[in-house]
Amino acid sequence: MKTWQRSLLMLVGLLAVCGATAYAQVPSAPVAEFPYTGNRTAVWIVAQLHILFAGFILGAPIFVVISEWLGYRKQDPRYDRLAKEVIKVTVILYSMTALTGGLFIFVLLATYPQFTTWLINHFFLIFAVVYPLLFIAETIVLYMYFYTWDSWKGDKKARHIALGVLLNIIGTVTLFVIDGPTSFMNTPVKAEGVSVVEFIQTATLWDKIFNYSWMPLNLHRLVGNVTFGGFITGLIAAYLYMFSKSDEERAYYDWMGFVGNMIGVGALLFLPFMGYLLAYELCDYDASICPYMMADQLSMFFEMQGAMIGLIFLASNYYIWLSMKRIEGVERVRITVLAVLVMVALPFVMTYTWTLFPVPDPRSMAVLVPLVLIPVVLGRFIPFTVSSLTAIKVSFLMVIVGNAIWMTPHGFVATGAKLVEELELPSAWNFLALMPAKNSAAITLVFVTVVSYIIYNRAITQGTIVWGKIDFASQFVLIFLAFSAIWTMGLMGAVRSLLRKYFHTYNLVPDFTVESFTPTLAYSAWWITGITLVFYLVVSFAIILTLRVAQPKGHVHEGSPVPAGAK
Amino acid sequence: MSEQPSFLSSVIKKGIVGAIIGGAFFGAATVLGFPLIFRYMFVAYTMLGTAVFILLDAPPVPALSGFKAVVALLAFYLVLSVVYIGGASLWPQYDPEDEKGKIAKLLEAKKRASEQGKAEELLARAKALDEKATGIMARIQTLGGPTEVAPAGSGGKSGGVGLVAGDVIALGKEQWQLQECYNCHKLFGEGGKKRGPELDNIGNLLKLDELKQKIVDPQSWMAEGFEKEYEKKKMPDKYKELMEEKDIDALVAFLATLKNPSVNTPKPIKKK
Repeated sequence: MKTWQRSLLMLVGLLAVCGATAYAQVPSAPVAEFPYTGNRTAVWIVAQLHILFAGFILGAPIFVVISEWLGYRKQDPRYDRLAKEVIKVTVILYSMTALTGGLFIFVLLATYPQFTTWLINHFFLIFAVVYPLLFIAETIVLYMYFYTWDSWKGDKKARHIALGVLLNIIGTVTLFVIDGPTSFMNTPVKAEGVSVVEFIQTATLWDKIFNYSWMPLNLHRLVGNVTFGGFITGLIAAYLYMFSKSDEERAYYDWMGFVGNMIGVGALLFLPFMGYLLAYELCDYDASICPYMMADQLSMFFEMQGAMIGLIFLASNYYIWLSMKRIEGVERVRITVLAVLVMVALPFVMTYTWTLFPVPDPRSMAVLVPLVLIPVVLGRFIPFTVSSLTAIKVSFLMVIVGNAIWMTPHGFVATGAKLVEELELPSAWNFLALMPAKNSAAITLVFVTVVSYIIYNRAITQGTIVWGKIDFASQFVLIFLAFSAIWTMGLMGAVRSLLRKYFHTYNLVPDFTVESFTPTLAYSAWWITGITLVFYLVVSFAIILTLRVAQPKGHVHEGSPVPAGAK
Repeated sequence: MSEQPSFLSSVIKKGIVGAIIGGAFFGAATVLGFPLIFRYMFVAYTMLGTAVFILLDAPPVPALSGFKAVVALLAFYLVLSVVYIGGASLWPQYDPEDEKGKIAKLLEAKKRASEQGKAEELLARAKALDEKATGIMARIQTLGGPTEVAPAGSGGKSGGVGLVAGDVIALGKEQWQLQECYNCHKLFGEGGKKRGPELDNIGNLLKLDELKQKIVDPQSWMAEGFEKEYEKKKMPDKYKELMEEKDIDALVAFLATLKNPSVNTPKPIKKK
């Protein structure tokens, strides 16, 4: 070895020793302190934004591929154009998902370093290997799906649809995988007779993932994402309808809004039950979570949720109403009077039945199933009918009644500790605040919306729908639905996180910071609104950029030629 | 223009019908013994229903485009934001101050056991010692003689002194609040009444060790008439982990004092 080589080696060795010593003596960095918001709210903002973007990029491809398939099967170019336009926005928002995801982990590490390290260590394989690989795979397939849209058509269309299916499989698996740590924080795995702290030391990765709330959260998010994707499609359609320059464009975007809303509402119908399943499992995990949600600190958050759900159902029915008003021949469309009678009777009959036989008692379905089938089975034998518009008006009335039952609390108080008689339901009416009444309210909202859609579908079939001639107010309804859906997602996201109370991981890792209290609903509403507006701003930018600015002038879409008056 | 008078008459007509129905609901709710807040709630629903039915017959909104559409959109978002924030602010608000002290007490033991807690305790001790030393130095300088120094950290009451019974019961009552037992059990006429039994007379039905057994192992006893809740394990099996032994004892001591035979506390049935 030459002298210069020996010197270099010694220098490197010296640097390594000094560096290691110096590094060992570096005091640990202080925990970051976010000004104004505080650390917890900072994490909340970034996490919620990330979830909103992720929710869209996972939900939108589900109906994009369905829409593409419908276009292929029906040979209707409108479906293909819809799918392509939504996937264009999805691609832009995909990068926002990655950006906010990276930001989320940085903010978490800076603000809660000990807990974040603890969580990563427990799910190391997920965070270090599985999730990144899935993300990379999804990125590749998403870009392939997008960039092969025009080249893989005709004979190759089936191949392209298959690629879309693959994208959705990867997306769904990604969702399920990341829901593991998320749900674990709410319901860490436990075993009979062993403390959570002890059990966690021996639990396998699968034990930790397959916790009480994992599958309910998966299902809730999956359905929620499709709802969300549908309403965002409605938003895209509303924006582009408002700024359309021709009747053809207006006709197309009117139709697109109709499809987006139908998908959003269709998935929304399942959402209360998925939410119920999640709440049921959370309560089953630890019964004290239930009163915390429904009767204590979070009870008013659920009142607000009830108000939001009611508004969303009212708005979706109002969209149907506006849409029906422009159907030529709608006055001839009639429906059996039994459907209206069942709508009116449903909340009362079901509250009574479910008080006697609470869900999931099999007898609880003994009345419901025949009741909702009566209009279908007996309707054809009973000659009495009502006009479609009257039936829809009754459905509005029942949405309000159902929502009133949903929102009736046991007491108008923010914590059970301060419940006094002047704020409490009279004992004889306490059943209105219990689950049987809430379940029947949810069933009523779903049933009347289904009936409204059946009437709407009948009106479209029997009358003539004039696309592009819908009341302009309907576009604001679509925007309202998207805004309200996002706001509700933000609210329920906050609720799910707050359910951990003063723990990072419930009953396992305490949060010793001064911010581990339950914030007020008003404070939460400010931030939820702020997050919704930021998300809206980015989505609006993505829509304008991809579908307006980037569109070459004079370009004719394949799906444009929609004859006004087409069925 | 021709639609305006008919819409106006529709608004007036439906407004009157809504007011009559709202008034009827208010009256009926008063007769049925609903508190004032619920009566207002019924009226609010009637108003919402009236607004919806007025909206159904509203004339079509004229189409907007260009700058006007952008302004309308921004105004719409502003209205939505104000309505949602305002709406959320109208509900009763939970006061975080109520919880902050509770959380500190609940996590006290865990914090003491944690690395962070140990470090903070050491820092606090060092600070106390430093203050004490500064004080001693100041006194020495002032008096010019030696001063007797109390051990650092002693605050007056010695830790070894036992608590009198009244203190223990007060601590137990505090645990009742901290652990939020009121959410499931009614006591002194306050709190939940569906998930768990009223406990005003539990002191006459269970002995001290039996009460303790029920808290640390909820499946050991079942309240008569609460079979479904017992089967569903409604009472969480977590208090032996969350609470310190002394806190459980204090809660038990408090529960043992509850001897009001006028309240029908269900009979406990031994299961284990």
